[in-house]
Amino acid sequence: MKLKKYFALTRCGILESLQFRASLLVMFAGNLVYLTVVYFLWKSIYASSGTNSVNGMTFHDTLIYLVLATALFNFMEMYAVWEIGRNIQTGKIVLDLLKPIKYRSYLFWSYSGSFVVNFFTTFLPTFITVCIVTNSAVPLGINLLYFALSIVPAVIINYSIDFIVGTICLYTESIWGINIMKQVIVMLFSGATIPIAFFPKTLKNIVNYLPFTSIYNTPLSILLNGNPQNANILTMLGIQVIWCIALLIVSSVFWKISLRQITVNGG
Amino acid sequence: MQNLIEIKEVSKEFKILNRREGLIGSVKDLFSRNYKIVKAVDNISISIAPGEIVGYLGPNGAGKSTTIKMMTGVLEPTSGEILVNGNVPYKNRSKNAQEIGVVFGQRSQLWWSLPLIESFRLLKDIYQIDDSEYENVIKLYKSLVDIEPLLHKPVRQMSLGQRTLSDILAAFLHNPKIVFLDEPTIGLDVSMKNKIRILIQALNHEKNTTVILTTHDMGDVDALCKRIVIIDKGKMLYDNDIEHLKGFFGSYRTLKLRLGENETQQTDVNLENALAKHFTEYEAISVSSDDEWTSILINEEKIKLMDVMKAVQDNYFIRDMKLEEISTEEVIRKIYEEGV
Repeated sequence: MKLKKYFALTRCGILESLQFRASLLVMFAGNLVYLTVVYFLWKSIYASSGTNSVNGMTFHDTLIYLVLATALFNFMEMYAVWEIGRNIQTGKIVLDLLKPIKYRSYLFWSYSGSFVVNFFTTFLPTFITVCIVTNSAVPLGINLLYFALSIVPAVIINYSIDFIVGTICLYTESIWGINIMKQVIVMLFSGATIPIAFFPKTLKNIVNYLPFTSIYNTPLSILLNGNPQNANILTMLGIQVIWCIALLIVSSVFWKISLRQITVNGG
Repeated sequence: MQNLIEIKEVSKEFKILNRREGLIGSVKDLFSRNYKIVKAVDNISISIAPGEIVGYLGPNGAGKSTTIKMMTGVLEPTSGEILVNGNVPYKNRSKNAQEIGVVFGQRSQLWWSLPLIESFRLLKDIYQIDDSEYENVIKLYKSLVDIEPLLHKPVRQMSLGQRTLSDILAAFLHNPKIVFLDEPTIGLDVSMKNKIRILIQALNHEKNTTVILTTHDMGDVDALCKRIVIIDKGKMLYDNDIEHLKGFFGSYRTLKLRLGENETQQTDVNLENALAKHFTEYEAISVSSDDEWTSILINEEKIKLMDVMKAVQDNYFIRDMKLEEISTEEVIRKIYEEGV
């Protein structure tokens, strides 16, 4: 019974996403343009390097990685920061706070609908296309299951970071700059724009101690690894889960403290 | 009967940064710790019984919304005590949320791009309303307003009136004990206002829901509220029923006259002088005029209306006349302007 209210939110989210056919189409087209750019960019990078393999990754590997990273981004990105910021600025947050459901969960579950839609409209088609075009360079085996498992903490980590940044908006009452900064940091350090393998050694070390790699790099490496070793997978998942719990705690504590300070605009 | 809402000596202060002017001032503000304290609500006590409709009035910035936010649990009072249905709202916000419904005139809690029925279904699950109860409510709604065409219409395609109506219905959906309506009729046309007033009255009647209504529209107050609370600058000015308020201001009536053919602006000065000579207690009369009518506000405890009438008739040619009772609006304006 308790879950029902969350699924009701998911349902509305799905319905709402499907309302905007044009937006889905534009997203699809924009995605194609982006991938074309990525293709030519990395092609020229590899051409200028003069070798087939850079940092242990062939052009093929890199491209598959980045295409899937983009697909994953389209599927996981929630734009929750925008939503929180907008809710704060318009004062709509008052109405959301007055639901017998935590604001955090309310927001997450109302977005979960777009997860489902984006999974089927962007991630799955891209994944299948990659499999076909590359003649199944992506291994299809137990790694899919591990990938699915690692997506769960990845989504939660991503959302928690968004939520923390959104909470900062309570103080600043503006979102633009903060959100852009967050986006750049997450995209870069998570390995969504450049594979972590390409990072200089020191940066790689630093990034390893940050939660961002757990969002994109971990699921993708698991997905692209054909013969996974259990110990290896377990460590990766373990790190994800630890970050997941840590960020859940931080974000909800930060929110609780901040909410006490809230001064809602308007009225 | 047990009071549903109990507000005891509640105050709310806000810390506001003293903003400086200009570019340099704005830059300095980034580092400023120069706050001033603004008392939005100052020592207010109100008790509200179940089933009451209370009009909560005050000029803009009087502290109405702040009080409502404290009652809903979004804001924590700086001092004092609020109990809503036995809960301290800001401590048990979720629990309190189950018992209250809220409509903010300018914001909607409905899902913008979905048909209304989807928002209702969502609320049904969020508030965990039983199927049978939900159907009863929808049946009740259908008997009160013509919602069938609205139910399947996306909210973004609705007119403002339809949306407000839908928002009010959504707020009552989970059968809350209290509904807060913050300027529900703002920006609506006369017939829609009327529809919404009838709806609120009917819902209050059917479900014995307590309604707290803030508004600037005296029509709302006259149509719905027996009791009004007036605040200004955070302080409570008045808390009693409307009839008492009118009585409080004496038995005023306004005599409206249309005088002579050629008389213009000079009339009211002349008339006031003439009347001042005629009556010893002339402060009980005040004269004003617009393009068409010359209005004489008379305190009938001091001077008889017919005497004024006679005095005017002796000196002027009266083309037309009408008599008006003092309206709640005028009483409230008097309170806003002059205090009790």
